[in-house]
Amino acid sequence: MSLKVDTNQTEAFMQALDTLENAFPYAKKMYQSDLFQAAARVMDEEDGMKFLYQHADRFDESGIFEGGPWAEPSKLEPRLVAGSLMDSGMTSIVEILSELRMVAIAKGNYKHQNVSKEQAKEFLNEVMALNVDILFPEETEASRIEGKQKEKNRAERLFQFLADELTLAPISGKLLKEIDDLVAQRPIMVNRIVHMIKNSRSLLDKDIDEQDKRAIKRYVRAITCPTKKCQKYQEPCEYRKQLKEMSDKELEEEARTFAKSMRETGLVSKHHVVLVRYLNKHREKLLPEALRLTKKGKANAEQHADIVSKLITVAIHPPMRQALYGLACMLERGVLSSTPVIPGLKRLIELDLQPDVRKVLLNSINGNEGITANDIMMAGVISVLGQPLGVGQGMNPTCQTARGISLWSLHAPGYLLELIPRAARDGDVDVQFEGQRIHSKNLREGLVNDLHEELDPVSLILVPHLDRIYGELVRRSKFRGDDVHKWVNPAFYGDWIPRGFSSTIDPLTGSIADYPGFVRLFYATHHPEYNNGYELIYPNPVGIFITNSFGHMLGLHAVSIQRIAKDSNGKYRVYFYNPNNDSAQDWGQGITPTVTGHDEIPGESSLPFHEFAARLYAFHYNPYEQGDAYAVDNQFVEKVEKLAKESWGEKYTWVDL
Amino acid sequence: MTFDQPTAQEISFKQTDQTDRKIIENIQTGPKKLKITKPEKGKKIALIGWSIPTIEAMDQLKRPYVVVSLPEFNDYAKQHNIPFFAWDFNNELGYQQVYQQAKDLSEQLRALEVDHAIPLFEETVEWAGALNAYFRNEPRVFHHSILFRDKAMMKRRAHIGGLRVGVFEEGNQKEDVKQFFQRVNDSLLRHHGEDPDPVHIKALNKAGAAGHRMIRSVEDIDQKLSDDNFPCLMESHLDGIEVSCEAFIHQGKVLFLNITEYVVFGYSMMVPPSPDIEEYRSAIRNEVQKVVDAFDIEYGIIHPEFFITNDDEIYFGEVAYRIPGGHIFDLMQKAYQFNPYVGHILCSDPHTSTEELDGFFPQEDETNGHAGSFLVYPKKNFIQGVNIPDELEEHPGFDKHTLYKPMQAKVQDQEGYGNHLGTLFFHHEDHEQVKQPLTDYVDHDFFM
Repeated sequence: MSLKVDTNQTEAFMQALDTLENAFPYAKKMYQSDLFQAAARVMDEEDGMKFLYQHADRFDESGIFEGGPWAEPSKLEPRLVAGSLMDSGMTSIVEILSELRMVAIAKGNYKHQNVSKEQAKEFLNEVMALNVDILFPEETEASRIEGKQKEKNRAERLFQFLADELTLAPISGKLLKEIDDLVAQRPIMVNRIVHMIKNSRSLLDKDIDEQDKRAIKRYVRAITCPTKKCQKYQEPCEYRKQLKEMSDKELEEEARTFAKSMRETGLVSKHHVVLVRYLNKHREKLLPEALRLTKKGKANAEQHADIVSKLITVAIHPPMRQALYGLACMLERGVLSSTPVIPGLKRLIELDLQPDVRKVLLNSINGNEGITANDIMMAGVISVLGQPLGVGQGMNPTCQTARGISLWSLHAPGYLLELIPRAARDGDVDVQFEGQRIHSKNLREGLVNDLHEELDPVSLILVPHLDRIYGELVRRSKFRGDDVHKWVNPAFYGDWIPRGFSSTIDPLTGSIADYPGFVRLFYATHHPEYNNGYELIYPNPVGIFITNSFGHMLGLHAVSIQRIAKDSNGKYRVYFYNPNNDSAQDWGQGITPTVTGHDEIPGESSLPFHEFAARLYAFHYNPYEQGDAYAVDNQFVEKVEKLAKESWGEKYTWVDL
Repeated sequence: MTFDQPTAQEISFKQTDQTDRKIIENIQTGPKKLKITKPEKGKKIALIGWSIPTIEAMDQLKRPYVVVSLPEFNDYAKQHNIPFFAWDFNNELGYQQVYQQAKDLSEQLRALEVDHAIPLFEETVEWAGALNAYFRNEPRVFHHSILFRDKAMMKRRAHIGGLRVGVFEEGNQKEDVKQFFQRVNDSLLRHHGEDPDPVHIKALNKAGAAGHRMIRSVEDIDQKLSDDNFPCLMESHLDGIEVSCEAFIHQGKVLFLNITEYVVFGYSMMVPPSPDIEEYRSAIRNEVQKVVDAFDIEYGIIHPEFFITNDDEIYFGEVAYRIPGGHIFDLMQKAYQFNPYVGHILCSDPHTSTEELDGFFPQEDETNGHAGSFLVYPKKNFIQGVNIPDELEEHPGFDKHTLYKPMQAKVQDQEGYGNHLGTLFFHHEDHEQVKQPLTDYVDHDFFM
């Protein structure tokens, strides 16, 4: 077999590999950069990947990965591959070599003690599924302008090689699972989902499962043209002209198809919006059909027909099309019947916005759309009121703030509609803390300096203020000898938060104190079999340890317990809202929160009760609604403690009281 | 009429002057020569500082050794069976404290059969000096090592030894700098503050550019200097090209002389230098030999820096007794195809035989092209990735680079040029193909 590679380059690589292999173990690192550079030159040759792959069984032994994050293949994460591949330093080269090692393991050419053939295949499938855009590159002007052509070419060459060596069939399944899990949560921001669907399109002409093909097509239709008519008249302007020609029956059919697609995926097509705006003007009777409203939703829409019509006019536009789904959910939640909501919404329509608020809102759409900042804000408010569990923190470390917006939307929409104009019009939000008012405009720093602006409009308006207030509350509560959240949470979120508070981290020593007592209290206040049947009424803001798929501690995170209930298998589960909107996470030890399949409401994640308890570090409780802690069986407590000690607990000192 | 009687002082001057002259005729003045015994044969060498290529050189030479370095290297050493002795070199210590604390260390090392210490980095020079003073039972060995650390002492010794140096003084406060600046400019007839000549302020004992400030006006003194800069060395400005040398010395003889060209000071360097600097090789060699003699150096490598002024005079800048930074050894390895780390050990060990040295060093005029390195410093405080211009790797002179996406986004606070996060290497037959990219990328930000 002859490979198309420059022998000068391959010889240089082989020499570097030999040198590295023969180096003293402690000196390997010194010779790695020579090897990487030589490998990079081989990669740029036509059959370079193949040549390198032929030697991949020697990579570990020679010490290519020694001392770096790629040393142990069982600890690599498919999600991180894309980032490394696009790094223009040596990082991308090592990453590619690491993938080639994985192929060697997957094909049985190299045996690794911690990674089996199947695991390697699984890893590579996941990598390909997550990077379908590299697997089937589109030559676009944008990608050229973005630069990094060299890294892109190498990555594409690698993926071409992977596609040649491995079958593509499992990829579509993986990709669909990712999309399904994201969609199941019905997030307000759908950019990532849309991106993945667009990528999955390139799988359609490949040899993949027929069922997967249908599922991909369904998703693609959902974000483009779900109906035959709009497939024919793709230009929104053309499509609108067609609507005028349609009979009521045709319109109804059109409405039903759109609604079905939206309800199944939570994704809204541009044409759906065009239809709804048309119906709103000319056939408002068909509106409930176009949203496929439940009885309650229909009743609400009828009762408040005026304001609904006004909201559609103001807020439902093609660039903010997702608000249409929000509107449907909002009507079904019956939020409009809460007294302060309608005047609150009306006030926003003509609110004078701060210039920076206007700017950030207008930046969130492409421009040239003839949309005002108020329109965008209204769309955002509708989404938040319709999808309280769809609020996400985006790329910002502001889980607390997202949790607040979600909670108020659920239980205090009037308060939320009070906060928004304060921030958007006055550039200030204030809260009362122990007799003093704290104004966000007087505060300088919060947790984020630079807000990542891929956020829903309400978050864009509120997060900068709430984040600073949260930071200030933390500052004022420090050094009180207990976890600051004991005081911060009730002040920040409001009186919905019960005053009882328990944390397992001892604030003075940072060690884990009386863990069994902590677990017992959680069972006695939250588990329906021990807490005298008190049901959770408002979401409970709790703190958890986030761990990776090996159970190693990554950090602390804020989620809210929404409810505790038996799933259809009769097992108690904790249903919680996770503001990072991530799908199917793996927290190690077999603890994998699900977002669907266990009676989750869209936007909820869930775990069996004891697994959730094993990641918990702080929670609130109502001291008047405690059950019997002593009734909790020792074996449950021990089970939780074992899970805790063997994961995040390794990072802490444990003390018994 | 009266005679002017000579005063008592005048009589006593004449008398004492004559006695003084008689006395010094009979004693030896000038530098005290070191008279030291060789370490005991077969005993171990202590490498003071952590350097993988030097450890590798020891293993290749099969010389028994112990690495003495910071406790943080303990795990790595244990993992790879590197003979290791953990010691916390406290940078805050004064020289006398180092000398005292080294006594304890020397005893512990002696128990490990160590009888000789070789410093690898600037901050370990006085530690190695102190250890060898105890091993040889000769305190002067320690003071000798301070010659390479205290820049004022160093310059004075060079000056006494007949090397050309700029005008220098030690300064303890801003007022001293003002006076020095004034006096230097007065003597250059640059009065009235118009277009004054710059002076340089340097830390007395730091490597590289750390603590270096250029003073171009009286205002600079207040703006650029703080209490942290004192005590310092104040030096007049020398105009010209700066070169660095690496001289491998055994038994007082320079066995190999490398000349490194600083292409962009602080950023890039090239070995061997451009032909117009190469012309000065024999003149530089003379100066290096002067340094060896003036500083009484028998074994090891020295890393002196010289200025070649516009009128072809060679001025001594400073000298270090350790491995040079900036990947100079790697460049030498590429250009001369020998292992300078091995050379360093061979020269530093008094027991190295002539057979071992014979043929080890290459001919200075037989090179495998020019090799250059460009140190990449972070330009921001937070970095998320690497940004390499596409044309870099296409450049005919490009050899390799060592830029990785950093694990830690936050950049440590920097002193001087600070630590570089990666290096670009160039190699080509034609020095212009190396020199040009070495100057091109100073303003490019390699990080995002």
